Amino acid sequence: MSTLALLLTQTVNALSQSALLFFLGVGLTLIFGLMRIVNFAHGALYMLGAFVGYSLTHWTGNYWLALAGAPVVVGLFGAAFELTILRRLYRRDAHAFLMVTFGLALVVGEAVRLTWGPDALQVPAPPALAGVVFMLDEPFPVYRLFLVATGVVVAIAIWQFLERARLGLLIRATSQNADMANALGVDVKLIRSCVFGIGCGLAALGGVLAAPLVTASNGMAGTVIIDAFVIVIIGGMGSFLGSLIGALLIGFVQVFGNYYAPDFSLAFMYLVMLAVLVMRPGGLLGKEA
Amino acid sequence: MSRSTRVKTTTGMAALVVALVVLVLAPLGLPPFAMTLLTEAVILGLFAMSLDLMFGYTRLVSFGHAAAYGLGAYACGWMLLNTGMPLLFAVFAAALLTGAVGIGVGWMCTLATGVSFSMLTLAFAQLLYAISFKWTSVTGGSDGLAGIPRTVGPFGFAALSSKAGFYYLALACLVGGFLVCRALVRSPFGAVLRGIRENEAKTTALGYNTRLYKIAVVAIAYGLGGLAGALYAPFAGFANTELLFWLLSGQVLIMVIVGGAGTLIGPVLGAAFFMLMEHQLSAWTEAWALYFGLIFIAFVLFAPQGIWGLATGLAGGRLRSAEQRH
Repeated sequence: MSTLALLLTQTVNALSQSALLFFLGVGLTLIFGLMRIVNFAHGALYMLGAFVGYSLTHWTGNYWLALAGAPVVVGLFGAAFELTILRRLYRRDAHAFLMVTFGLALVVGEAVRLTWGPDALQVPAPPALAGVVFMLDEPFPVYRLFLVATGVVVAIAIWQFLERARLGLLIRATSQNADMANALGVDVKLIRSCVFGIGCGLAALGGVLAAPLVTASNGMAGTVIIDAFVIVIIGGMGSFLGSLIGALLIGFVQVFGNYYAPDFSLAFMYLVMLAVLVMRPGGLLGKEA
Repeated sequence: MSRSTRVKTTTGMAALVVALVVLVLAPLGLPPFAMTLLTEAVILGLFAMSLDLMFGYTRLVSFGHAAAYGLGAYACGWMLLNTGMPLLFAVFAAALLTGAVGIGVGWMCTLATGVSFSMLTLAFAQLLYAISFKWTSVTGGSDGLAGIPRTVGPFGFAALSSKAGFYYLALACLVGGFLVCRALVRSPFGAVLRGIRENEAKTTALGYNTRLYKIAVVAIAYGLGGLAGALYAPFAGFANTELLFWLLSGQVLIMVIVGGAGTLIGPVLGAAFFMLMEHQLSAWTEAWALYFGLIFIAFVLFAPQGIWGLATGLAGGRLRSAEQRH
């Protein structure tokens, strides 16, 4: 394999990994920006998305329906959790959220194990995406290219949604100053439920997209939640662009680290995070924490 | 001190003394498997108490306290396996080492505050986790260190290596740790910690170098947490990567909060409660984590002051109503 082809395949690998990480990180950062909640259950909801996606694929026989359906199901679940539990805690310490969402992560993780069993489940990629293409004479899975494309589309969609749509405007206003937005007649409670639901739905989208690549398994929550935290911390808590940069940075560090120095790849990510935080405690694009 | 607080303190002290007597006499009446559980609960209690110094008294929310536990366990296990050092020395040397590492961790993590502080502690713990996987020659990689002996020392410490003896060693460490922590939080040092918890800017304005205090409390908490981990390695006979995993960091935070943060005794109760729940629920249902998660959510929602808070609140309430009657 020529060096150029190698670089190219690794770059596309890194970009597809970044796309998956971005779905996680952007939901986490939206939720944090609006509610100052660190959602510990984010990884569990990502996993839930993968398993719901598995079931939907089996019932309907159509991966595309699962891709659309799983985020909606998990998003509604998230909104319901916000309505029933989180809403009672807004006057409390920030760590109350950390605790409650940690509890939710335990509950969801165990419920998934009970419902779908302890084994990893295969979710086949749809036929249109199952093959390989040749780039510089090297075979390359179409599915990874599809992930990169989805990542770009979703990133642009979220950005435009936040900038242009009325709900996006209200979300930004509420993030900036919830009391003021409330005084101006914005239904802050409704916005919070919406954003928590959207964030959870994005995590599930990541999960259902990752499923054909890595299978749906009980272990998938534990590893990604830390990745998602790292991305959001590096980018700056609450920053949309920060989560994009963080996802790209970590995607490349993971893939290239894994290739060139597999023994140290696990440590690289944390070293990058430590370095960023030592230089800028609030993250790259965050306010000083 | 008003009459009711004095009464409350005396009842509290009496309750503690009774609890201690029960714990000291426990090996006489309990079957071996219960002794194993109790020893582990005592060790976890010490671990949770060490986090309470940071979380309960200084509001330094560490999400990586497993780093202290795992480091202490690996260090102690390695010394027992490779140097032939007697049990007691290895345990305390590991605790000291962990405390020394805690100075570095504290220095680095206190560069940030709030959520970023939590995430830095998490990053550090995960870094150690990654290292424990890869540094196979020292840590045994994913297998961990197995067959850690309770080496008997030269000075007639042979009794410590028996089941009851080891229990007493752990209990002595817990009681000693409690006395040290209590002295700390009641000292002027502890007053500054509480000042940082309530309002760090104000404490800085009063002329305290709050960062130094924070580094100090992280180091002490790491030392005590390391002591707990160092006890765990010869207790279980192994040390593995799970002792450094973030799940344990989350669990110990649960123990502190469920027990009652900022009370020292509360987290010990929280650890015991955690052990009991894990044991009882897992005997009763395979899905114990599900019920544990639900119980935990209920605690955060309805009893944020924790078990100890509930208990003292009840006792205090009874005292108040008794006073009203008179």
